[in-house]
Amino acid sequence: MRPAAGGRRRREISLLPNHVILILLWIFAVGPLVVLAFNSVKKTAELGRNPLGFPRDIVLGNFAKAWEVGNFSTTTRNSGILVAGTVAGVLILGGMAAYSLSKLNLPGSGPLTLYLLVGTSLPIQLFLVPLFFTWKRLGLVNSLFGLILIYIAINSPFAIFLLRSYMIQLPSDFEDAARVDGASEWQVFSRIVVPLSWPGFLTVGLVVALSVWNEFLLATVFLTDQNLFTVVTSYANFATRFGRDWTLTSAAAVMMVVPVIVIFLSLQRRFVEGLTQGGLKG
Amino acid sequence: MRMRSFLKVAAVAAVALLAPAAPLLGGAPAARAQDTTKLTMWLDTTGGAETADCIRANAIDPFNALGKGISVEATMLANNWDATRTALAGGGGPDIVGTPGPSFAMQLALAGQLADLTGYADKLGWNERFSKGSLNIGMGADGKLYSLPTEVETLVLYYNTNVFKEHGWEPPKTLDEFMALVKQVKEAGLIPLAGGNAEWRPTNEWFVGEFLNHYAGPQKVYDALTGKAQWTDPEFAAAMEMLAQLQKDGDFMGGLDRYYTATDAERLSAFGDGKAAMNIEGSWFVSNAPLYFGEAAGNDDDWGWVPMPSKDGSAIYDLGVGQTYSVNAKSANPDAAAAFLDFYYSPATMARLLSECGLMPAPMSLEGQDLSKVDPRLSEIIAGLDKAYAENNYGYTTWTFWPPATETYLIENVEKVWSGDMSVADYLAGMQKQFDTDKAAGAVPPIPAR
Amino acid sequence: MSASIDLPRVSAAEAASARRRALFRRKVVPWLFVVPVLLLNVMVVAGPAIAAVYYSMTDWNGVGPAKWVGLANFQELAADPSFRHAFRNNVAWLLMFLTVPIALSLGAASLLAPIRRGGMVYRMGIFIPYVLPSVITANLWRALLSPDRGIPAALTSLGVPGFDRAFLGAPNTVLPTIAFVDNWHWWGFLMVLFLAAMQNIPADLYESARLDGASRWQEFRDITIPGIRPTLVFMILMTAIWSFLTFDYIWILTQGGPAGASEVLSVLVFKQAFQAFRAGYASAIGLTMSILVGIIIGLFGILRRRGWEI
Repeated sequence: MRPAAGGRRRREISLLPNHVILILLWIFAVGPLVVLAFNSVKKTAELGRNPLGFPRDIVLGNFAKAWEVGNFSTTTRNSGILVAGTVAGVLILGGMAAYSLSKLNLPGSGPLTLYLLVGTSLPIQLFLVPLFFTWKRLGLVNSLFGLILIYIAINSPFAIFLLRSYMIQLPSDFEDAARVDGASEWQVFSRIVVPLSWPGFLTVGLVVALSVWNEFLLATVFLTDQNLFTVVTSYANFATRFGRDWTLTSAAAVMMVVPVIVIFLSLQRRFVEGLTQGGLKG
Repeated sequence: MRMRSFLKVAAVAAVALLAPAAPLLGGAPAARAQDTTKLTMWLDTTGGAETADCIRANAIDPFNALGKGISVEATMLANNWDATRTALAGGGGPDIVGTPGPSFAMQLALAGQLADLTGYADKLGWNERFSKGSLNIGMGADGKLYSLPTEVETLVLYYNTNVFKEHGWEPPKTLDEFMALVKQVKEAGLIPLAGGNAEWRPTNEWFVGEFLNHYAGPQKVYDALTGKAQWTDPEFAAAMEMLAQLQKDGDFMGGLDRYYTATDAERLSAFGDGKAAMNIEGSWFVSNAPLYFGEAAGNDDDWGWVPMPSKDGSAIYDLGVGQTYSVNAKSANPDAAAAFLDFYYSPATMARLLSECGLMPAPMSLEGQDLSKVDPRLSEIIAGLDKAYAENNYGYTTWTFWPPATETYLIENVEKVWSGDMSVADYLAGMQKQFDTDKAAGAVPPIPAR
Repeated sequence: MSASIDLPRVSAAEAASARRRALFRRKVVPWLFVVPVLLLNVMVVAGPAIAAVYYSMTDWNGVGPAKWVGLANFQELAADPSFRHAFRNNVAWLLMFLTVPIALSLGAASLLAPIRRGGMVYRMGIFIPYVLPSVITANLWRALLSPDRGIPAALTSLGVPGFDRAFLGAPNTVLPTIAFVDNWHWWGFLMVLFLAAMQNIPADLYESARLDGASRWQEFRDITIPGIRPTLVFMILMTAIWSFLTFDYIWILTQGGPAGASEVLSVLVFKQAFQAFRAGYASAIGLTMSILVGIIIGLFGILRRRGWEI
C-alpha cells in the first residue's frame, strides 16, 4: 500500500534512535573496561589519587612484571589446551546429542532432558569430594586431560540445549532429501545439520571456551602441579589481600582478556560468514 | 554399512579426543627418579607471590641444599585450603599439610587425615624447643600431637603518631580512656578507627575477640572455652554492647556501610594519610605498613602502637596462631616430612623468615639469632606477647581457640547485632548453643591450662 | 505349493529385516548419538551426586568418616531461618534476572538487528564484558562503586544527590547492586544469543509486515518474539536454573553480608561445607536447591504442555 521508496526512507530515518540508544549501551559496557586499561598503565601511587581518569605517566613495565610473576607463558599454554580440548569435546559429543534430541525423535527424550537439567542445577561444591575421590583412583588428578573430561561433562548440557534450539529451527527438507538418497544419520548430521547450525556451534564454542578460560574452583582443586596452572589460577595469586598492587593486577587482567577479545574478533568474521554461507539469510 | 561408517567416525573422534592424554598422563610423578625422597607442600597465597617466593628462598631451598636426600617441592596454590581439604578427603594431598589454624588442623586430625607427631616431638626435642605449653594447641582430644603452630600472632592498637602529636592525644590504656578518645577523634573531624571487612569478611572476629578478652578478661574467656562459664555472661554482653556502640556510631571508617565496603588499601591509606587516627589489627599489619606510611605513600606520617586497652588498664595480648603444618597420614615418607618440619621450626629458619619475609615466628625463643633487620616495633610487640604468655596474662583469638562452626556463627551474626536485627543476648545465646554442639562433637581445640 | 510358500517367506524375511532396520534407525541410532556424552555426564555428575544424597543424611564434616543421622539435617534445615532468608534472596535474584537483562538484551538486539553498517562494533563492545572472569569484573566494580574514589564520588562532587553512599555496604541496596554488577557482565551475552536467533528470521516477514503498515512494536511482538521463541524460552529456563546457583559475584563482593542481606543458598552451602565443617548439612541444602530447581523445570514443562506460549 505504501510506496516502496517511502518505506525505505522511513527505515533509514528510524535507525537514528537505534544508534543513539546503542551508543549509550556501548559506553555502559565498554567504559569500565577503559578504566581497567588506564589503571594497568598507571603508577601505583597515581592510582590512589586518580582512580578513574586518564593516566598522567604511562608505565608499560606493569605488563612485563605481571607476565613474569604470573608465569603467563606456561599458564596460557595450559589454559589453551583446556579450552581447545573441552570445546572440541563439547561440540562433537554435545552436537551429536543435540542432533538426536532435535531431529531423531529420541525415545525417552523427556526423562533425559530432565536428568540433564537437574544435573546442571547441582552446585559443584556438593560433589567435589566424591568426584576428586573417583578421579584420584583413575589417575586423572593433575592431568589436563582429566580436567577436560570434567569440563566436557559439566558444559555439555547447556551446549546440548542451545544447539538443540538451533537445530529445531532448521527446515528438514535437506535432511529428508539426503535420507532418501541413502545417507546415514551420521552423514546427515555431519554434512547437513552441522554446516547449517554453524552459528549455533560457534556460539556454543565461544561460551564453553570462555567458561573454561575463566573457571577457577575445579582448576585449583584438580591441578596442583605448578606446571599445570591456568591463567585464572595465577591471576588469583595477584589478587591477594595484602600489599595488593592494583596496577599490576589490572595489567594481568588486561593480558588475560586481550587474547580472548582477539579470538572473539576473528570469530566474529567467521560468524557472519557462517550466516551467509548457511543460506539462511532470508 | 551405515552403522559401520558411523562407528568409524565416532572412533576417530574418540581417538582425537583421547590423543592429548598420552603425553599429559606420562608426566605424572611416578616417572621420576627415586634416589631422592620427594616431598610435596602447598603454600598459601594470602601473603602474595612475593611472600611465597621468600619462604622458598629462606626455608625450603636451604633445606633441599642440606644434602639429606630429601627434596621438598613447594607449590603456591591460589585456593590452598579448599584444594587441601578436597584432596585429603579424596585420598590425596601433599605430604606436608598446611591449615589456616589449629582448629582447622584439629578437624583434619579428627578425620584421621594427619599423622601422629608425638614420637617425632620426643625424638627431635620439639617439646623443649617450643615455648612451654604451646604444643598443646596442636594436640587432638586423644592427647597426641598433630600440628605445629607456625606464626604466632597478636592484635594491638596502632595509632598515627603525627595525628596524635598534632592534637595532643595520648594512646589509651583503659577501655574507658579508649572510648573517650574515640569521641574526641570524631569531634576533631577524623575517623577514629581504620577498620573494614570488604576483602576479608572474618575481620569482624578481630574486634569481637578483642572486646571479649579485654573487657571481660582472659580468665573469663578461658572459663567459657573450658565450659566453666557461659558466653551469655553479663561481662561478655557488656563487651559486645560496647563494640556494637562503636559500629552503630560509625566509628569504623565513618559508618557501617563504609566498614563493609572499605578495602584494605582504602582503610590503610586513610590511616597512613592521617584521615583515620587508630587501627586495631594483628601483628601482620607491620609488614604492610611501609606501603601506607612515609615516603612511599607520599606522606610523612608514622605509626606507633600500644597493647589493646583493657578494662583495668593491664597489658593483655591475645594469642593467635596464623598457620599450622602437619604431616599427611597417607604420606609415604613421614620421617622425611618430620625432618623438614624439624628444619623449618628451627630458631635459625624462623629468624630468617622473620627478618627476610616479615613472617611472625613460631612460639619459641629466638635468642642468639640475628634480628637486626626486623622493625624494632615488631620486636617489641613480640616481646610483649612473650611476656604476657609467660605471666599468664594472654587472651584468646577466636580463629585459634573457637571451633570452626562457632567461629563462623560469630563472624556471620555479629553483623546482625550491629545492624540492630539481633540483640546481644540472642547473639550470645546462639553462640553458646553452637559452642555446646561443637563441644559435644569434640571440636573445641585443647585450651592450654592457665 | 512350495514355491507359493517360499515366496511369501522370502518377502516376510525381507520385510522383517527392513522393519528391524527401521526400528534400529528409529530407536537405537538416536541413542548412539547420546550415549557418549551421557556416559561422561553420569560419571562426573550423577555418580558423585548420589554420594551427596548419602552424605546429606550423615553428620559428615567434609574430610573424615561419616555417621548416619537420617533426616536430621533436613529437619534442621526446615527450621533454619538463614535457609529461608537465603531462599527469599534467591527468589528476588531470580525475579531481577528474569526481567532486567532479558528486557535489556531483547531491546538492544532488536535495535541492532536492522543495522548493517557498524553493527559489528556495537555487538563487540556490548559483548566484551562477558569475556571477563568474575574475579576481575567484581574487583573492577568494587573500585568503581567505592563511595570515596569511584563513580559515586565523582557524581557527588558534581553535585548529583543520592550517591554519597556505599551501595555494597547497606542491607537495602546490596543485593540489587551485586545483581547490577553481574548483569553488566551478563546481558551482552544474552543480546548476542538473541541477535543470532533474530538473524535466522526471514527478512521477507518484516517486509510484508511493513507493507501492511505494522508498527515497530507490532513487528517486535508478532514477528521477532515468535521467531526467536526456542532461544528465548531456553534462556528463560537457564536463567531460572542459574539464579538458584548464583555464587561468584556474591561471594567475591560480600560473602553474603552485610548482616546476611545478600546471602543466597549457594553461599550458605559453601560456608557450611568449607568454613563450618558441616558438609553433611551443606549437602542437604544443596539437594534441596536441586529439588526446587526440579520443581521449576516441572512447572515449566506443565505450562508448555498446556499450550502456554512460553
